[in-house]
Amino acid sequence: MSLRSQLLKGTLEGCILSLINQQPTYGYELSLRLQEHGLTDVSEGSIYPILLRLQKEKLVVGTLKKSPSGPKRKYYQLTDAGTKALNEFIQQWNSIKPPVDRIIEKGEM
Amino acid sequence: MEPKEIIEWNNKKREELTEHNQKIYEEMLIYIRAGSNKSEQQTEEVLLELLEHLLDAQKEGKSAEEIFGSDFKAYCDDIIKEIPGEKKKKKLGFGIYIALKYLAIISGVTGVLGFALSNFFEIGSGEFTFTPLSGTLIIALYLALLFLFIKIALKWIQMTSFSKKKKWIEFVQLWLFCSLYFGLFYLIPKLIPSIGPKISVPVIGLGVLGVVIYIITIPIGRKYGYTN
Repeated sequence: MSLRSQLLKGTLEGCILSLINQQPTYGYELSLRLQEHGLTDVSEGSIYPILLRLQKEKLVVGTLKKSPSGPKRKYYQLTDAGTKALNEFIQQWNSIKPPVDRIIEKGEM
Repeated sequence: MEPKEIIEWNNKKREELTEHNQKIYEEMLIYIRAGSNKSEQQTEEVLLELLEHLLDAQKEGKSAEEIFGSDFKAYCDDIIKEIPGEKKKKKLGFGIYIALKYLAIISGVTGVLGFALSNFFEIGSGEFTFTPLSGTLIIALYLALLFLFIKIALKWIQMTSFSKKKKWIEFVQLWLFCSLYFGLFYLIPKLIPSIGPKISVPVIGLGVLGVVIYIITIPIGRKYGYTN
């Protein structure tokens, strides 16, 4: 696994939780929004294994509703446990980011 | 939505894919479905999501490789790994349903064929003779053989997905595999010795039994969504 994908693995989950929290959304839109924020070389398909895992851990629920012209998109929403997990992620991210930034800035070539 | 409704919609929607994307998507679909033992609901939901994503991306001129990466098999494995398992009760119910249907067909065919042969061509006695103990053992072995066959067949489907092996090699493999199955099917009753008292019944009785079991399985299949 490349350094980049190791770094991304945990972070991407947090980003997905945060985007779903901002607005219930479906897979394709979610991948567009990740790209809009600059995560352009995350392959679009990689969100689906993560969404399945988040559903299994009951952090998000996806609902597929019927409509006259076939099913509607599967929309994802955070559960209470999901909100809690997001808050934990934000807390941890905030405690890691500033020191890492400081270390990198000092050592920048 | 029920899995079978999602499947119907998927079948219709899939036709909108470009030839290239459709070929890849269908291989992924077969591979993921064959990675059985998983919740059918979740499997079909994610398959539909992947399809709709591909359709959206296609409109922007993107290909399947850009969405799922170049290693489709690895991507599908990532998906399968995260699909939750099927509920025990549903799995057991499905197993029983398949077993009943299988036994119904064997007994129905044996009965009707035996009856026809003895009545119209005077082949066979028109009676079916068995010993309860050996008979039970044979049925158990038949069922074991069936489930082993299904397991291996699913594994085989997965192993031959995304492979560039020549089609005729796959055909020969499948042919050998099926021959082995029917060979064992034929050999099992010959190899099991008759133990205990023998019972003879008119062979048509077996046919009737088969038809009755088959009819019983139809509403069960509908109720639990095993059939369309």
